[in-house]
Amino acid sequence: MYDPDNRLTDAYEPEVGTIPSDESDADEETVVKTGTTTVGLSTDDGVVIATDRRASLGGRFVSNKSVTKVEQIHPTAAMTLVGSVGGAQSFIRSLRSEANLYEVRRDEPLSIHALSTLAGNFARGGPFFAINPIIGGVDDEGSHVYSVDPAGGVLQDDYTVTGSGTMVATGTIEGEYDSEMSIEEARALAIRAVEAAAERDTGSGNGIVLAEITADGVDIDRFDDYDSAE
Amino acid sequence: MQGNEQQAYDRGITIFSPDGRLYQVEYAREAVKRGTASVGVRTADGVVLAADRHARSPLIERDSIEKIHEIDDHVGVASAGHVADARQLIDVARRQAQVNRLRYDEPASVESLTKEVTDYIQQYTQTGGARPFGVALLVGGIEDGEPRLFETDPSGTPYEWQAVAIGGSREDIQTYLEDEYAAEMDLEGGVELALRALASVNDDGLDATGVDIATIDVEGEQFSKLAEDDIADRLAEFELGGEE
Repeated sequence: MYDPDNRLTDAYEPEVGTIPSDESDADEETVVKTGTTTVGLSTDDGVVIATDRRASLGGRFVSNKSVTKVEQIHPTAAMTLVGSVGGAQSFIRSLRSEANLYEVRRDEPLSIHALSTLAGNFARGGPFFAINPIIGGVDDEGSHVYSVDPAGGVLQDDYTVTGSGTMVATGTIEGEYDSEMSIEEARALAIRAVEAAAERDTGSGNGIVLAEITADGVDIDRFDDYDSAE
Repeated sequence: MQGNEQQAYDRGITIFSPDGRLYQVEYAREAVKRGTASVGVRTADGVVLAADRHARSPLIERDSIEKIHEIDDHVGVASAGHVADARQLIDVARRQAQVNRLRYDEPASVESLTKEVTDYIQQYTQTGGARPFGVALLVGGIEDGEPRLFETDPSGTPYEWQAVAIGGSREDIQTYLEDEYAAEMDLEGGVELALRALASVNDDGLDATGVDIATIDVEGEQFSKLAEDDIADRLAEFELGGEE
């Protein structure tokens, strides 16, 4: 039947596809989680995101040693997978299609703030398990790093860390980060932070993935060891 | 029997005539022409919306004649045609403006709001039992620091303009705008042009109570209506008032 309101989109739902409505009763022990250390640092030249590559079952068994936990979701933005792999993957697909739809309709990309707001709304509205991603990107206003928490909280910062290795990685960055630093210096600091977390956090390890985001786009590189990432 | 079939293209549901016309949409455009005129002018400093809202009786409360409406801080709409139909579209635009803020935490762009409204209008030209909207709107506002001015028509087509008139005497006012418009004029110049354009088809001159004006400026990105006194001052200054 004719629905006169069908042009009004729900602010908390994707326009394309739907968020699964039922809380999955999947056994927590068998859900693949990333454990993870993901860090995002903003500089004047762009954003650096670094993650480890380990996926684990219940934090006790390494189920995958070469996960790429940062994915491009927008022409100049990327997001990390933190928490349930299935939840994070479907979350990324939803955000990517929303960003595409926005851009093709309006002939301009979503701003990073709008992208993060949308991510927060989706996280709040749907059972994407416990995900806690970082969104990093560059737009007309410069470089931005946001963290999105499982309840939909969206916080911007100069740098941010999520995942089970947060404490160790944050300690590495704290005091070393400088908003004036170059993107190369930020990259080196991000590598040190993920390396330190991999040493001490059982949920993190198996190498590093680095994403560099500038006004020109997103570059993602994978490395088996930290020295070759430098 | 034969006669009934031939009449059927302009009855009830909107269907094509054999020569490809949608009579119901064309009749809706006639309804727009029966309304009093509204004018939009885009200037370097912002957008001006002006509307003729002369009353049919001195006893009516002027504020109850609605021709210009705020949609959000940075967007306004002027209408011509069926006011009741306009109100429905204005509410669609108002809600969509807030959906955009909820969804993206950003003000809605004027273009995307206009297209939400025109997509909504279009559904009423293609749905069984529906009647097209007998109203045209001018959607004016600021988007990324730039003034934008759009028109919606009963077919659901959006048009962007530098200066435009809708409603009664549209052709004459448009001709006036085409002769007098200058892209570099400031907001005050836009107000003057809009008033002069409306006055160009009112032989008796304009009355401050019979005109509604709103501006949306680039600097403040803020919709604001001119007070009646301010309109009266300008009418006096431009010598557009009728004989008292």
